[in-house]
Amino acid sequence: MTNPILLAAGTITLALIGSTALAAPVCGAGTGQPATGVPVKVGGIHGNAAPGDFSSSTTAARAYFDCVNANGGLNGRPIAYLVENDQWNPELAAQAASKLLTDDKVVAMVGNGSFVEMAVNAPTYKAEGIMAMAAGCAVSECFESPNIVSTNQGPLPSTIGAAQYMVEEKAAQHAVCIGLTIPNVGNWSCGAMEEYMASKGLTGSSVLLNPASPDVNSGLLEAVATGADTMVVNLPAGLAIAFLKAAEEQGLGDAYQWASSTPLYDRTVPAALGPYWDGKMFINAELTPWDKGGPDATNWLAVMDAHAPAGAPRDTFSQSGYLAARYFVETALKLDPAQLDDRAAVTAAITAINGYTSDLTCGPYYVGTADRHMPNHAGTMVVVKGDGFETVRDCYEYDSPYFAPILEQEAALGLR
Amino acid sequence: MRDLLQSLALWGAACLGLAVWLGWGKPVPVVGMFVVSGLAVGSLYALGGIGLVLLYRATGVLNLAAGAIGMAGVMLAWQLVQWGLPAPLAWALGLGLSVALAVGYGRGIAPRMEWREPVVKAVASLGFALVLLGAASFLWSDDPRKFELPTDKTAVMILGLRVTLTRLLVIGFAILAVVLITLGLNRTRIGLQMRALAGNRRLSALIGVQVARVETVAWALSGLLFGFTGLMFGDLVRLEPAVITFLVIPCIAAAIAGRMQSLPDVLLGGLAMGVIESLLTLSDLFKTIRPVAPFVIAVLVLVAMNRGRRLTFAGED
Repeated sequence: MTNPILLAAGTITLALIGSTALAAPVCGAGTGQPATGVPVKVGGIHGNAAPGDFSSSTTAARAYFDCVNANGGLNGRPIAYLVENDQWNPELAAQAASKLLTDDKVVAMVGNGSFVEMAVNAPTYKAEGIMAMAAGCAVSECFESPNIVSTNQGPLPSTIGAAQYMVEEKAAQHAVCIGLTIPNVGNWSCGAMEEYMASKGLTGSSVLLNPASPDVNSGLLEAVATGADTMVVNLPAGLAIAFLKAAEEQGLGDAYQWASSTPLYDRTVPAALGPYWDGKMFINAELTPWDKGGPDATNWLAVMDAHAPAGAPRDTFSQSGYLAARYFVETALKLDPAQLDDRAAVTAAITAINGYTSDLTCGPYYVGTADRHMPNHAGTMVVVKGDGFETVRDCYEYDSPYFAPILEQEAALGLR
Repeated sequence: MRDLLQSLALWGAACLGLAVWLGWGKPVPVVGMFVVSGLAVGSLYALGGIGLVLLYRATGVLNLAAGAIGMAGVMLAWQLVQWGLPAPLAWALGLGLSVALAVGYGRGIAPRMEWREPVVKAVASLGFALVLLGAASFLWSDDPRKFELPTDKTAVMILGLRVTLTRLLVIGFAILAVVLITLGLNRTRIGLQMRALAGNRRLSALIGVQVARVETVAWALSGLLFGFTGLMFGDLVRLEPAVITFLVIPCIAAAIAGRMQSLPDVLLGGLAMGVIESLLTLSDLFKTIRPVAPFVIAVLVLVAMNRGRRLTFAGED
């Protein structure tokens, strides 16, 4: 005999699944009419070469812009999204910015994802009076510059968030941060984690690995030698996997508590780590988990399905690239159409952003006039479980002395 | 044997001195862990160096594509395992690819530069390495991945460090490779022919040494060594094409430690470089310069070797 409640529930579930799968993306004005006319030029720079491919941020931004162009554009005008690859080369990064800003005269930079270009181009963006609505920031210059604002968090908040969870939920007393000796990345983010631990009367240490050194085992031994009870891995995914393999080899999975910043929140990681780390590795997600649902989470996937290559990653940088593009479009749509080609007017409109919200992030997105911008400083903790991840702590704000000036800015903007 | 004991004493003293200096005040088991960890990486440097020296002695080619050839093998092996092939078959096919790439280069490209300067041959092989790295980057995206062997699961405790069977196997294989290749070079006909070719290529050809055949054997053997080194490196260190490709650099340093001649010295030099590199981690001052340690050591060896000589690319004063 069929249970009518189960039958009804099943029907609703199937309908929801069907509607999700068939959902049409919602973008910009949503007119359903293709934009025509003179394009509005927007730039983006990503890094795609060794040590990694950060192009998913600009890929998602392009997908959103394509969707907007198919839905009325910016008051009828399409967005011409001009993307350059800096190949992790400072010289190419400077050339890319020069081409986009001087030759192409873009009005804003959107979806940038690179270690290198932000460090190189931050002074240029300031000098040229252009705002970069980045999506894949990692170095300190990206968060501590007046003309760059990112939707992602970068390693500093994410590492603090991971350590905070381990302190508050797992009673960690001494956490060691394992980072890279890349200037303004490893020492910056691990140093802030040490400050957080000290602010709680606890102990923090850092072990910085040279990315050129093949042997991660010595780094692991160095971390063990600190006497910490909690390991906070703050490495790119490939290196983190190698580090954890060395730890597995030493049988250290149960001897320490393990946490990581965002790079390990990657769909391929649980399989690469293997069952040994099931339930042991706690990871901070900079944006909300992929399977959380919500209007933006659903729309992001729909936009990617409709306008991005099938093989394009659906990852954190993709989420943040989508968000940066959406916030830019919403801002531009409010602008006087006559000012869409006026860089100063566009910059002023972006600077005036105060409190966009999305289910993809835990807090409001804002810009404001300030020497630093880090609107995204609350996240979610997940744990490796089976072939995927399980949320263990939903949106929580990070608590560290580093965020004091940022919280003051938010108070001044009326956001808290 | 006397030379070998001298080298052993020299390298041993260098490692011991560094261990005492940098490990002073630290618990002995902690220092021991760094020594054991360094031996595993050092044995990989040595294995790669042995392959380089074997090939150089027989063909005069310093093969800068050694790391890339090993990388191609381990990437193929990993991919085949992902596709569901039985692991031993995947490893064998990975090794087969490394041998095929080495022999393919040795038969297809190297003979066209037969009479060119050693530096030209080396640079050409670097080009081959970059082609292989480019192909790997095209075929495999930048996803995290892990390559495992069943021997990773078995381990013994040495100086407080859990040492897996894989690490012991690498060290054992490096020693075995030195013994077998040395015996092969000294006691077999093809070994004699290889030595003859290394000594004087023109005269060897004139007296009837089948150059192509001897060189093919040398390329195949070196390809097997590079392939095995790549598999072990992918397992013990990390499975990243660029990292494995540039493993050739410390391997060259190990080969230089053996003066591009002595396989036992390559083994000892490679092991010592790994240990010294690992021990540098104990120093806050020196740990950031760890990756350059093999090259500094190689330079010191070169300077010591060439006192009173004029160093030339062609290797002749």
